[in-house]
Amino acid sequence: MSRRLPFSEGAGVLILAAVLSPALWLLQMSFRHNADIMSTRMIFTPTLENYTALWTGQFPGSFVNSLLASGLSTAVSLLLGVPAAYVLARWRFRGERHVALWILATRMAPPIAFTIPFFLAFSWAGLMDTVVGLAIIYVTFNLALVIWSMRGFFAAVPRSLEEAAWIDGCGVWSAFLRIALPLAAPGLAATGILCFILSWNDFFYALILTRTRAMTAPVAIVNFMQYAGWEWGKIAAAGVLVMLPVLAFTFFVRNYLVSGLMAGGVKE
Amino acid sequence: MLAAVTIGPALYLVITSLTPLTPVNPDTAFDFSDPAGNYTAILATDEFWRSVWVQIELSVVTVATQLAAGLGLALLLDRPSRFLEVLRTGFLVPMVLPPIVVAIIWKILYTPDISPLHHVLAWLGLPVHSLITNPDTAIWAIAAADTWEWFPFTMLMLLAALQMVPKEPQEAAVIDGASALQLFWHVRLPYIRPTLVVAVLFRLIDSIKAFPLIYVLTDGGPGGATQVTNYYAFEQTFSFSYWGYGSAVATLMVAGVFLLSVVVNRLGGETIDE
Repeated sequence: MSRRLPFSEGAGVLILAAVLSPALWLLQMSFRHNADIMSTRMIFTPTLENYTALWTGQFPGSFVNSLLASGLSTAVSLLLGVPAAYVLARWRFRGERHVALWILATRMAPPIAFTIPFFLAFSWAGLMDTVVGLAIIYVTFNLALVIWSMRGFFAAVPRSLEEAAWIDGCGVWSAFLRIALPLAAPGLAATGILCFILSWNDFFYALILTRTRAMTAPVAIVNFMQYAGWEWGKIAAAGVLVMLPVLAFTFFVRNYLVSGLMAGGVKE
Repeated sequence: MLAAVTIGPALYLVITSLTPLTPVNPDTAFDFSDPAGNYTAILATDEFWRSVWVQIELSVVTVATQLAAGLGLALLLDRPSRFLEVLRTGFLVPMVLPPIVVAIIWKILYTPDISPLHHVLAWLGLPVHSLITNPDTAIWAIAAADTWEWFPFTMLMLLAALQMVPKEPQEAAVIDGASALQLFWHVRLPYIRPTLVVAVLFRLIDSIKAFPLIYVLTDGGPGGATQVTNYYAFEQTFSFSYWGYGSAVATLMVAGVFLLSVVVNRLGGETIDE
Protein backbone atom coordinates (compact mmCIF):
# COMPACT_ATOMS: atom_id res chain seq x y z
CA MET A 1 0.00 0.00 0.00
CA SER A 2 2.69 2.48 0.97
CA ARG A 3 4.20 2.16 -2.50
CA ARG A 4 0.99 3.58 -3.99
CA LEU A 5 0.66 6.57 -1.71
CA PRO A 6 2.96 8.87 -3.69
CA PHE A 7 0.91 8.07 -6.79
CA SER A 8 -2.35 9.18 -5.18
CA GLU A 9 -0.76 12.32 -3.87
CA GLY A 10 1.06 13.20 -7.06
CA ALA A 11 -1.99 12.61 -9.23
CA GLY A 12 -4.15 14.45 -6.72
CA VAL A 13 -1.92 17.52 -6.84
CA LEU A 14 -1.89 17.56 -10.64
CA ILE A 15 -5.65 17.17 -10.93
CA LEU A 16 -6.26 19.82 -8.29
CA ALA A 17 -3.96 22.22 -10.17
CA ALA A 18 -5.92 21.56 -13.35
CA VAL A 19 -9.24 22.02 -11.56
CA LEU A 20 -8.23 25.28 -9.93
CA SER A 21 -6.52 26.78 -12.97
CA PRO A 22 -9.67 28.42 -14.41
CA ALA A 23 -10.19 30.26 -11.12
CA LEU A 24 -6.53 31.27 -10.99
CA TRP A 25 -6.83 32.60 -14.53
CA LEU A 26 -9.60 34.91 -13.33
CA LEU A 27 -7.35 36.06 -10.49
CA GLN A 28 -4.41 36.97 -12.74
CA MET A 29 -6.76 38.70 -15.20
CA SER A 30 -7.98 40.99 -12.46
CA PHE A 31 -4.44 42.38 -12.12
CA ARG A 32 -3.91 43.07 -15.82
CA HIS A 33 -4.17 46.42 -17.54
CA ASN A 34 -7.16 46.49 -19.85
CA ALA A 35 -4.78 46.74 -22.81
CA ASP A 36 -2.96 43.62 -21.60
CA ILE A 37 -5.97 41.36 -21.33
CA MET A 38 -6.04 40.18 -24.92
CA SER A 39 -2.30 39.58 -24.99
CA THR A 40 -0.99 36.05 -24.81
CA ARG A 41 2.10 36.93 -22.81
CA MET A 42 2.17 35.34 -19.39
CA ILE A 43 4.49 38.03 -18.03
CA PHE A 44 2.80 41.35 -17.38
CA THR A 45 3.06 44.27 -15.01
CA PRO A 46 0.39 43.81 -12.36
CA THR A 47 -1.88 46.74 -11.69
CA LEU A 48 -4.60 47.55 -9.21
CA GLU A 49 -6.40 49.83 -11.65
CA ASN A 50 -9.32 47.41 -12.03
CA TYR A 51 -9.88 47.40 -8.30
CA THR A 52 -9.59 51.16 -7.95
CA ALA A 53 -12.01 51.59 -10.86
CA LEU A 54 -14.50 49.39 -9.01
CA TRP A 55 -14.05 51.40 -5.84
CA THR A 56 -15.16 54.62 -7.51
CA GLY A 57 -18.19 53.12 -9.24
CA GLN A 58 -21.43 51.68 -7.93
CA PHE A 59 -19.88 48.36 -7.03
CA PRO A 60 -19.11 49.15 -3.35
CA GLY A 61 -22.80 49.91 -2.83
CA SER A 62 -23.88 46.57 -4.22
CA PHE A 63 -21.21 44.85 -2.15
CA VAL A 64 -22.66 46.46 0.98
CA ASN A 65 -26.15 45.36 -0.10
CA SER A 66 -24.88 41.78 -0.39
CA LEU A 67 -23.33 41.99 3.07
CA LEU A 68 -26.51 43.45 4.58
CA ALA A 69 -28.92 40.99 2.96
CA SER A 70 -26.74 37.98 3.81
CA GLY A 71 -25.98 39.19 7.34
CA LEU A 72 -29.58 40.07 8.11
CA SER A 73 -30.96 36.79 6.81
CA THR A 74 -28.32 34.82 8.72
CA ALA A 75 -29.11 36.63 11.97
CA VAL A 76 -32.87 36.18 11.62
CA SER A 77 -32.56 32.52 10.58
CA LEU A 78 -30.41 31.79 13.62
CA LEU A 79 -32.71 33.68 15.99
CA LEU A 80 -35.77 31.79 14.81
CA GLY A 81 -34.17 28.50 13.88
CA VAL A 82 -31.88 27.76 16.82
CA PRO A 83 -34.60 27.65 19.52
CA ALA A 84 -36.81 25.65 17.17
CA ALA A 85 -33.98 23.19 16.57
CA TYR A 86 -33.41 22.89 20.31
CA VAL A 87 -37.05 22.06 20.90
CA LEU A 88 -36.99 19.49 18.10
CA ALA A 89 -33.84 17.90 19.51
CA ARG A 90 -35.12 17.65 23.08
CA TRP A 91 -38.81 16.93 22.84
CA ARG A 92 -40.57 14.37 20.70
CA PHE A 93 -43.16 15.63 18.25
CA ARG A 94 -45.70 13.94 16.11
CA GLY A 95 -44.83 16.16 13.18
CA GLU A 96 -41.13 15.39 13.27
CA ARG A 97 -41.10 13.58 9.97
CA HIS A 98 -42.87 16.50 8.37
CA VAL A 99 -40.06 18.80 9.40
CA ALA A 100 -37.58 16.55 7.62
CA LEU A 101 -39.80 16.50 4.55
CA TRP A 102 -40.28 20.25 4.65
CA ILE A 103 -36.53 20.74 4.76
CA LEU A 104 -36.08 18.38 1.86
CA ALA A 105 -38.78 20.26 -0.05
CA THR A 106 -37.17 23.69 0.36
CA ARG A 107 -33.87 22.13 -0.66
CA MET A 108 -35.41 20.61 -3.77
CA ALA A 109 -37.96 23.13 -5.04
CA PRO A 110 -36.84 25.13 -8.07
CA PRO A 111 -36.32 28.79 -7.12
CA ILE A 112 -38.53 29.91 -9.99
CA ALA A 113 -41.49 28.43 -8.12
CA PHE A 114 -40.82 30.72 -5.16
CA THR A 115 -39.90 33.73 -7.22
CA ILE A 116 -43.20 34.22 -9.00
CA PRO A 117 -45.36 34.41 -5.85
CA PHE A 118 -42.72 36.43 -4.01
CA PHE A 119 -42.48 38.86 -6.90
CA LEU A 120 -46.24 39.43 -6.85
CA ALA A 121 -46.39 39.69 -3.06
CA PHE A 122 -43.39 42.02 -2.91
CA SER A 123 -44.81 44.33 -5.56
CA TRP A 124 -47.95 44.60 -3.51
CA ALA A 125 -46.15 45.03 -0.15
CA GLY A 126 -43.56 47.49 -1.42
CA LEU A 127 -40.69 45.12 -0.73
CA MET A 128 -39.41 45.07 -4.29
CA ASP A 129 -35.85 46.21 -4.64
CA THR A 130 -35.22 46.34 -0.90
CA VAL A 131 -32.54 44.60 1.13
CA VAL A 132 -35.18 43.56 3.66
CA GLY A 133 -37.23 41.84 0.97
CA LEU A 134 -34.21 39.94 -0.23
CA ALA A 135 -33.32 38.93 3.33
CA ILE A 136 -36.84 37.56 3.81
CA ILE A 137 -36.38 35.26 0.81
CA TYR A 138 -33.05 34.05 2.10
CA VAL A 139 -34.57 33.33 5.51
CA THR A 140 -37.06 30.94 3.89
CA PHE A 141 -34.32 28.63 2.72
CA ASN A 142 -31.80 29.28 5.51
CA LEU A 143 -34.31 28.53 8.24
CA ALA A 144 -34.70 24.96 7.05
CA LEU A 145 -30.95 24.52 7.05
CA VAL A 146 -30.50 26.01 10.53
CA ILE A 147 -33.17 23.78 12.05
CA TRP A 148 -31.78 20.71 10.33
CA SER A 149 -28.17 21.16 11.30
CA MET A 150 -28.60 22.70 14.76
CA ARG A 151 -30.88 19.86 15.74
CA GLY A 152 -27.97 17.54 15.07
CA PHE A 153 -25.61 19.66 17.16
CA PHE A 154 -28.04 19.89 20.09
CA ALA A 155 -28.66 16.17 19.96
CA ALA A 156 -24.92 15.70 20.52
CA VAL A 157 -25.02 17.75 23.74
CA PRO A 158 -25.58 15.37 26.68
CA ARG A 159 -29.05 15.82 28.10
CA SER A 160 -27.93 15.17 31.64
CA LEU A 161 -26.17 18.55 31.83
CA GLU A 162 -29.40 20.43 31.31
CA GLU A 163 -31.31 18.13 33.64
CA ALA A 164 -28.76 18.93 36.34
CA ALA A 165 -29.32 22.63 35.66
CA TRP A 166 -33.10 22.25 35.91
CA ILE A 167 -32.70 20.53 39.27
CA ASP A 168 -30.52 23.42 40.42
CA GLY A 169 -33.43 25.74 39.68
CA CYS A 170 -32.63 26.83 36.14
CA GLY A 171 -35.60 27.39 33.86
CA VAL A 172 -35.83 25.67 30.51
CA TRP A 173 -34.98 28.89 28.73
CA SER A 174 -31.94 29.72 30.84
CA ALA A 175 -30.69 26.12 30.71
CA PHE A 176 -30.83 26.46 26.95
CA LEU A 177 -28.96 29.77 26.99
CA ARG A 178 -26.38 28.84 29.60
CA ILE A 179 -25.71 25.15 28.92
CA ALA A 180 -26.86 23.87 25.56
CA LEU A 181 -26.09 26.93 23.45
CA PRO A 182 -22.48 27.43 24.60
CA LEU A 183 -21.79 23.72 24.11
CA ALA A 184 -23.19 23.86 20.59
CA ALA A 185 -21.33 27.10 19.80
CA PRO A 186 -18.93 25.66 17.21
CA GLY A 187 -21.91 24.20 15.37
CA LEU A 188 -23.70 27.51 15.65
CA ALA A 189 -20.77 29.35 14.08
CA ALA A 190 -20.50 26.85 11.26
CA THR A 191 -24.24 26.94 10.59
CA GLY A 192 -24.21 30.73 10.55
CA ILE A 193 -21.34 30.77 8.08
CA LEU A 194 -23.07 28.30 5.82
CA CYS A 195 -26.24 30.44 5.83
CA PHE A 196 -24.16 33.45 5.00
CA ILE A 197 -22.44 31.72 2.09
CA LEU A 198 -25.70 30.43 0.63
CA SER A 199 -27.28 33.90 0.76
CA TRP A 200 -24.13 35.55 -0.51
CA ASN A 201 -23.95 33.18 -3.48
CA ASP A 202 -27.53 33.78 -4.54
CA PHE A 203 -27.96 35.25 -7.97
CA PHE A 204 -31.40 34.25 -9.16
CA TYR A 205 -33.55 35.92 -6.49
CA ALA A 206 -31.42 39.03 -6.46
CA LEU A 207 -31.62 39.31 -10.24
CA ILE A 208 -35.39 39.25 -10.22
CA LEU A 209 -36.29 40.99 -6.98
CA THR A 210 -33.86 43.91 -7.08
CA ARG A 211 -33.35 46.72 -9.55
CA THR A 212 -30.91 49.43 -8.52
CA ARG A 213 -31.25 50.33 -4.85
CA ALA A 214 -30.85 46.84 -3.41
CA MET A 215 -28.77 45.34 -6.20
CA THR A 216 -26.32 42.77 -4.85
CA ALA A 217 -22.74 42.23 -5.96
CA PRO A 218 -23.42 39.16 -8.17
CA VAL A 219 -26.05 41.11 -10.09
CA ALA A 220 -23.74 44.11 -10.36
CA ILE A 221 -21.12 41.93 -12.08
CA VAL A 222 -23.61 40.84 -14.68
CA ASN A 223 -24.46 44.46 -15.31
CA PHE A 224 -20.81 45.13 -16.11
CA MET A 225 -21.15 42.49 -18.78
CA GLN A 226 -24.16 44.07 -20.37
CA TYR A 227 -23.63 47.79 -20.14
CA ALA A 228 -19.97 48.52 -19.60
CA GLY A 229 -18.71 47.35 -22.98
CA TRP A 230 -17.05 44.20 -21.69
CA GLU A 231 -14.49 45.62 -19.32
CA TRP A 232 -12.97 42.24 -18.62
CA GLY A 233 -10.45 43.55 -16.10
CA LYS A 234 -13.21 45.06 -14.00
CA ILE A 235 -15.39 42.00 -14.34
CA ALA A 236 -12.52 39.78 -13.19
CA ALA A 237 -11.71 42.06 -10.26
CA ALA A 238 -15.35 42.12 -9.17
CA GLY A 239 -15.47 38.33 -9.45
CA VAL A 240 -12.41 38.03 -7.23
CA LEU A 241 -13.94 40.35 -4.63
CA VAL A 242 -17.19 38.38 -4.59
CA MET A 243 -15.46 35.04 -4.16
CA LEU A 244 -12.98 36.14 -1.47
CA PRO A 245 -15.35 36.09 1.52
CA VAL A 246 -16.64 32.70 0.47
CA LEU A 247 -13.17 31.24 0.14
CA ALA A 248 -12.11 32.66 3.50
CA PHE A 249 -15.17 31.25 5.25
CA THR A 250 -14.81 27.92 3.49
CA PHE A 251 -11.34 27.61 4.87
CA PHE A 252 -12.59 28.11 8.43
CA VAL A 253 -15.45 25.67 8.32
CA ARG A 254 -14.24 23.23 5.69
CA ASN A 255 -15.00 20.09 7.64
CA TYR A 256 -18.46 21.08 8.69
CA LEU A 257 -19.22 22.49 5.26
CA VAL A 258 -19.01 19.07 3.73
CA SER A 259 -21.90 17.77 5.81
CA GLY A 260 -23.79 21.07 5.71
CA LEU A 261 -23.77 21.34 1.94
CA MET A 262 -25.12 17.86 1.74
CA ALA A 263 -27.85 18.45 4.30
CA GLY A 264 -30.26 15.61 3.90
CA GLY A 265 -27.86 13.54 1.90
CA VAL A 266 -25.78 11.33 4.13
CA LYS A 267 -26.13 10.42 7.74
CA GLU A 268 -23.23 11.69 9.79
CA MET B 1 -45.84 28.87 11.18
CA LEU B 2 -42.64 27.65 9.60
CA ALA B 3 -44.37 25.59 6.97
CA ALA B 4 -46.53 28.59 6.05
CA VAL B 5 -43.46 30.25 4.59
CA THR B 6 -43.21 27.40 2.13
CA ILE B 7 -46.82 26.43 1.60
CA GLY B 8 -48.10 29.98 1.15
CA PRO B 9 -46.02 30.70 -1.94
CA ALA B 10 -46.77 27.24 -3.31
CA LEU B 11 -50.52 27.83 -3.07
CA TYR B 12 -50.18 31.26 -4.58
CA LEU B 13 -48.18 29.77 -7.42
CA VAL B 14 -50.81 27.16 -8.21
CA ILE B 15 -53.61 29.74 -8.05
CA THR B 16 -51.72 32.06 -10.39
CA SER B 17 -51.11 29.20 -12.76
CA LEU B 18 -54.89 28.92 -13.22
CA THR B 19 -55.22 32.52 -14.44
CA PRO B 20 -53.99 34.31 -17.55
CA LEU B 21 -52.27 36.87 -15.26
CA THR B 22 -50.10 39.51 -16.85
CA PRO B 23 -49.00 42.70 -15.08
CA VAL B 24 -50.24 44.79 -17.99
CA ASN B 25 -53.79 43.95 -17.00
CA PRO B 26 -54.23 43.52 -13.21
CA ASP B 27 -57.82 42.30 -13.56
CA THR B 28 -56.48 39.04 -14.94
CA ALA B 29 -55.33 38.02 -11.45
CA PHE B 30 -58.80 36.75 -10.58
CA ASP B 31 -59.89 35.54 -13.97
CA PHE B 32 -60.56 31.86 -13.44
CA SER B 33 -62.75 31.48 -16.52
CA ASP B 34 -60.36 29.04 -18.14
CA PRO B 35 -58.40 27.41 -15.29
CA ALA B 36 -56.74 24.75 -17.42
CA GLY B 37 -55.95 27.17 -20.21
CA ASN B 38 -52.28 27.59 -19.38
CA TYR B 39 -51.74 23.88 -19.02
CA THR B 40 -53.33 22.96 -22.33
CA ALA B 41 -51.36 25.76 -23.98
CA ILE B 42 -48.09 24.50 -22.48
CA LEU B 43 -48.65 20.94 -23.57
CA ALA B 44 -49.34 22.15 -27.10
CA THR B 45 -46.20 24.29 -27.27
CA ASP B 46 -43.19 22.82 -29.09
CA GLU B 47 -40.89 25.25 -27.30
CA PHE B 48 -41.87 23.75 -23.96
CA TRP B 49 -41.26 20.20 -25.09
CA ARG B 50 -37.95 21.18 -26.58
CA SER B 51 -36.94 22.78 -23.27
CA VAL B 52 -37.81 19.53 -21.51
CA TRP B 53 -35.66 17.62 -23.96
CA VAL B 54 -32.72 20.05 -23.55
CA GLN B 55 -33.16 19.66 -19.80
CA ILE B 56 -33.02 15.88 -20.00
CA GLU B 57 -29.94 16.02 -22.23
CA LEU B 58 -28.14 18.42 -19.91
CA SER B 59 -29.14 16.61 -16.73
CA VAL B 60 -28.21 13.14 -17.92
CA VAL B 61 -24.85 14.22 -19.31
CA THR B 62 -23.81 16.33 -16.33
CA VAL B 63 -24.90 13.79 -13.75
CA ALA B 64 -23.00 11.06 -15.59
CA THR B 65 -19.79 13.08 -15.89
CA GLN B 66 -20.03 14.33 -12.32
CA LEU B 67 -20.51 10.83 -11.08
CA ALA B 68 -17.59 9.47 -13.10
CA ALA B 69 -15.23 12.28 -12.11
CA GLY B 70 -16.42 12.26 -8.50
CA LEU B 71 -16.08 8.52 -8.10
CA GLY B 72 -12.66 8.43 -9.77
CA LEU B 73 -11.32 11.15 -7.51
CA ALA B 74 -12.95 9.73 -4.41
CA LEU B 75 -11.21 6.39 -5.03
CA LEU B 76 -7.93 8.19 -5.66
CA LEU B 77 -8.12 10.32 -2.53
CA ASP B 78 -9.60 7.75 -0.16
CA ARG B 79 -6.52 7.09 1.92
CA PRO B 80 -5.83 8.14 5.48
CA SER B 81 -3.31 10.90 4.89
CA ARG B 82 -3.07 14.38 6.28
CA PHE B 83 -1.85 15.62 2.92
CA LEU B 84 -4.80 14.19 1.00
CA GLU B 85 -7.17 15.78 3.50
CA VAL B 86 -5.73 19.17 2.64
CA LEU B 87 -6.09 18.37 -1.06
CA ARG B 88 -9.76 17.50 -0.55
CA THR B 89 -10.37 20.99 0.81
CA GLY B 90 -8.91 22.36 -2.41
CA PHE B 91 -11.41 20.37 -4.42
CA LEU B 92 -14.20 22.10 -2.54
CA VAL B 93 -13.46 25.36 -4.32
CA PRO B 94 -15.56 24.99 -7.50
CA MET B 95 -18.73 24.13 -5.61
CA VAL B 96 -18.49 26.87 -2.98
CA LEU B 97 -17.61 29.64 -5.40
CA PRO B 98 -20.54 31.95 -6.04
CA PRO B 99 -22.26 30.46 -9.11
CA ILE B 100 -22.01 33.81 -10.83
CA VAL B 101 -18.23 33.72 -10.47
CA VAL B 102 -18.19 30.22 -11.94
CA ALA B 103 -20.20 31.58 -14.85
CA ILE B 104 -17.72 34.44 -15.38
CA ILE B 105 -14.77 32.06 -15.24
CA TRP B 106 -16.28 29.93 -17.98
CA LYS B 107 -17.42 32.91 -19.99
CA ILE B 108 -13.77 33.93 -20.09
CA LEU B 109 -12.68 30.42 -21.08
CA TYR B 110 -15.24 30.34 -23.88
CA THR B 111 -14.55 33.82 -25.27
CA PRO B 112 -11.90 33.31 -27.99
CA ASP B 113 -10.27 36.78 -27.65
CA ILE B 114 -9.27 36.33 -24.04
CA SER B 115 -9.47 32.60 -23.43
CA PRO B 116 -6.28 30.72 -22.60
CA LEU B 117 -7.92 27.62 -24.09
CA HIS B 118 -8.52 29.28 -27.43
CA HIS B 119 -5.05 30.81 -27.41
CA VAL B 120 -3.44 27.41 -26.92
CA LEU B 121 -5.60 25.80 -29.60
CA ALA B 122 -4.78 28.57 -32.06
CA TRP B 123 -1.09 28.23 -31.24
CA LEU B 124 -1.33 24.49 -31.95
CA GLY B 125 -2.85 25.35 -35.31
CA LEU B 126 -6.34 24.23 -34.32
CA PRO B 127 -8.34 27.43 -34.09
CA VAL B 128 -11.79 26.67 -32.71
CA HIS B 129 -14.72 29.01 -32.99
CA SER B 130 -16.58 30.00 -29.89
CA LEU B 131 -18.33 26.95 -28.49
CA ILE B 132 -21.14 28.88 -26.87
CA THR B 133 -22.34 30.66 -30.00
CA ASN B 134 -22.60 27.42 -31.96
CA PRO B 135 -26.00 25.72 -31.49
CA ASP B 136 -24.41 22.28 -31.84
CA THR B 137 -21.82 22.72 -29.11
CA ALA B 138 -23.40 25.24 -26.72
CA ILE B 139 -25.14 22.63 -24.60
CA TRP B 140 -21.92 20.62 -24.21
CA ALA B 141 -20.01 23.76 -23.27
CA ILE B 142 -22.54 24.36 -20.50
CA ALA B 143 -22.36 20.72 -19.46
CA ALA B 144 -18.56 20.98 -19.13
CA ALA B 145 -18.83 24.06 -16.92
CA ASP B 146 -21.56 22.46 -14.83
CA THR B 147 -19.46 19.34 -14.37
CA TRP B 148 -16.57 21.45 -13.16
CA GLU B 149 -18.81 23.23 -10.68
CA TRP B 150 -20.48 20.17 -9.19
CA PHE B 151 -18.21 17.12 -9.39
CA PRO B 152 -16.89 18.03 -5.89
CA PHE B 153 -20.35 17.29 -4.54
CA THR B 154 -20.41 13.70 -5.77
CA MET B 155 -16.75 13.33 -4.84
CA LEU B 156 -17.35 14.39 -1.24
CA MET B 157 -20.44 12.27 -0.80
CA LEU B 158 -18.67 9.22 -2.17
CA LEU B 159 -15.57 9.89 -0.08
CA ALA B 160 -17.75 9.98 3.02
CA ALA B 161 -19.36 6.72 1.96
CA LEU B 162 -16.03 5.04 1.16
CA GLN B 163 -14.71 5.95 4.58
CA MET B 164 -17.61 4.15 6.21
CA VAL B 165 -16.92 0.88 4.40
CA PRO B 166 -15.73 -1.52 7.11
CA LYS B 167 -12.08 -2.50 6.90
CA GLU B 168 -12.34 -6.25 7.59
CA PRO B 169 -14.01 -7.42 4.37
CA GLN B 170 -11.58 -5.31 2.36
CA GLU B 171 -8.58 -6.81 4.12
CA ALA B 172 -10.02 -10.30 3.73
CA ALA B 173 -10.49 -9.71 0.00
CA VAL B 174 -6.93 -8.48 -0.37
CA ILE B 175 -5.62 -11.53 1.46
CA ASP B 176 -7.67 -13.74 -0.84
CA GLY B 177 -5.88 -12.13 -3.75
CA ALA B 178 -8.65 -9.89 -5.10
CA SER B 179 -7.51 -7.37 -7.72
CA ALA B 180 -8.17 -3.66 -7.19
CA LEU B 181 -11.08 -3.87 -9.62
CA GLN B 182 -12.59 -6.91 -7.92
CA LEU B 183 -12.14 -5.26 -4.55
CA PHE B 184 -14.05 -2.24 -5.76
CA TRP B 185 -16.79 -4.10 -7.60
CA HIS B 186 -17.55 -6.84 -5.07
CA VAL B 187 -16.67 -5.27 -1.74
CA ARG B 188 -16.79 -1.48 -1.80
CA LEU B 189 -19.48 -0.83 -4.40
CA PRO B 190 -22.23 -2.67 -2.51
CA TYR B 191 -21.49 -0.52 0.54
CA ILE B 192 -21.51 2.79 -1.28
CA ARG B 193 -24.42 2.02 -3.60
CA PRO B 194 -27.10 3.77 -1.48
CA THR B 195 -24.97 6.92 -1.34
CA LEU B 196 -24.35 6.66 -5.06
CA VAL B 197 -28.09 6.59 -5.69
CA VAL B 198 -28.74 9.56 -3.42
CA ALA B 199 -25.89 11.54 -4.98
CA VAL B 200 -27.29 10.92 -8.45
CA LEU B 201 -30.79 11.98 -7.49
CA PHE B 202 -29.61 15.06 -5.63
CA ARG B 203 -27.58 16.17 -8.61
CA LEU B 204 -30.42 15.32 -10.95
CA ILE B 205 -32.82 17.51 -9.01
CA ASP B 206 -30.30 20.32 -8.64
CA SER B 207 -29.52 20.21 -12.34
CA ILE B 208 -33.10 21.31 -12.98
CA LYS B 209 -32.30 24.56 -11.19
CA ALA B 210 -29.19 25.42 -13.23
CA PHE B 211 -29.49 29.10 -13.96
CA PRO B 212 -26.49 31.44 -13.68
CA LEU B 213 -24.36 29.40 -16.10
CA ILE B 214 -27.01 29.49 -18.79
CA TYR B 215 -27.90 33.11 -18.12
CA VAL B 216 -24.32 34.32 -18.47
CA LEU B 217 -22.92 31.91 -21.05
CA THR B 218 -25.69 31.61 -23.62
CA ASP B 219 -28.86 33.32 -22.37
CA GLY B 220 -30.75 30.21 -23.45
CA GLY B 221 -29.43 30.52 -26.99
CA PRO B 222 -28.23 30.22 -29.60
CA GLY B 223 -31.70 29.77 -30.99
CA GLY B 224 -32.99 28.11 -27.85
CA ALA B 225 -30.32 25.38 -27.95
CA THR B 226 -29.63 25.72 -24.23
CA GLN B 227 -33.06 26.75 -23.07
CA VAL B 228 -33.87 24.35 -20.27
CA THR B 229 -37.34 24.30 -18.72
CA ASN B 230 -36.29 26.47 -15.80
CA TYR B 231 -35.02 29.07 -18.24
CA TYR B 232 -38.13 28.79 -20.33
CA ALA B 233 -40.30 29.52 -17.28
CA PHE B 234 -38.04 32.43 -16.36
CA GLU B 235 -38.26 33.98 -19.82
CA GLN B 236 -42.00 33.53 -20.20
CA THR B 237 -42.58 35.13 -16.81
CA PHE B 238 -40.00 37.83 -16.45
CA SER B 239 -39.10 38.71 -20.03
CA PHE B 240 -42.49 38.32 -21.70
CA SER B 241 -44.70 38.90 -18.61
CA TYR B 242 -46.86 35.80 -19.12
CA TRP B 243 -47.21 35.36 -15.38
CA GLY B 244 -49.99 32.81 -15.41
CA TYR B 245 -48.32 30.76 -18.09
CA GLY B 246 -44.93 30.93 -16.36
CA SER B 247 -46.53 29.89 -13.07
CA ALA B 248 -48.05 26.88 -14.79
CA VAL B 249 -44.65 25.85 -16.16
CA ALA B 250 -43.15 26.33 -12.69
CA THR B 251 -45.95 24.26 -11.15
CA LEU B 252 -45.21 21.44 -13.56
CA MET B 253 -41.55 21.69 -12.59
CA VAL B 254 -42.37 21.50 -8.89
CA ALA B 255 -44.51 18.44 -9.59
CA GLY B 256 -41.60 16.84 -11.46
CA VAL B 257 -39.15 17.66 -8.70
CA PHE B 258 -41.57 16.37 -6.09
CA LEU B 259 -41.83 13.06 -7.90
CA LEU B 260 -38.04 12.84 -8.02
CA SER B 261 -37.89 13.68 -4.29
CA VAL B 262 -40.26 10.86 -3.49
CA VAL B 263 -37.93 8.58 -5.40
CA VAL B 264 -34.99 9.95 -3.37
CA ASN B 265 -36.85 9.20 -0.18
CA ARG B 266 -37.68 5.64 -1.26
CA LEU B 267 -34.36 4.64 -2.74
CA GLY B 268 -32.20 6.38 -0.19
CA GLY B 269 -34.37 5.34 2.74
CA GLU B 270 -31.47 3.89 4.68
CA THR B 271 -29.08 6.75 4.05
CA ILE B 272 -31.32 9.75 4.46
CA ASP B 273 -31.31 10.98 8.02
CA GLU B 274 -34.74 9.97 9.37
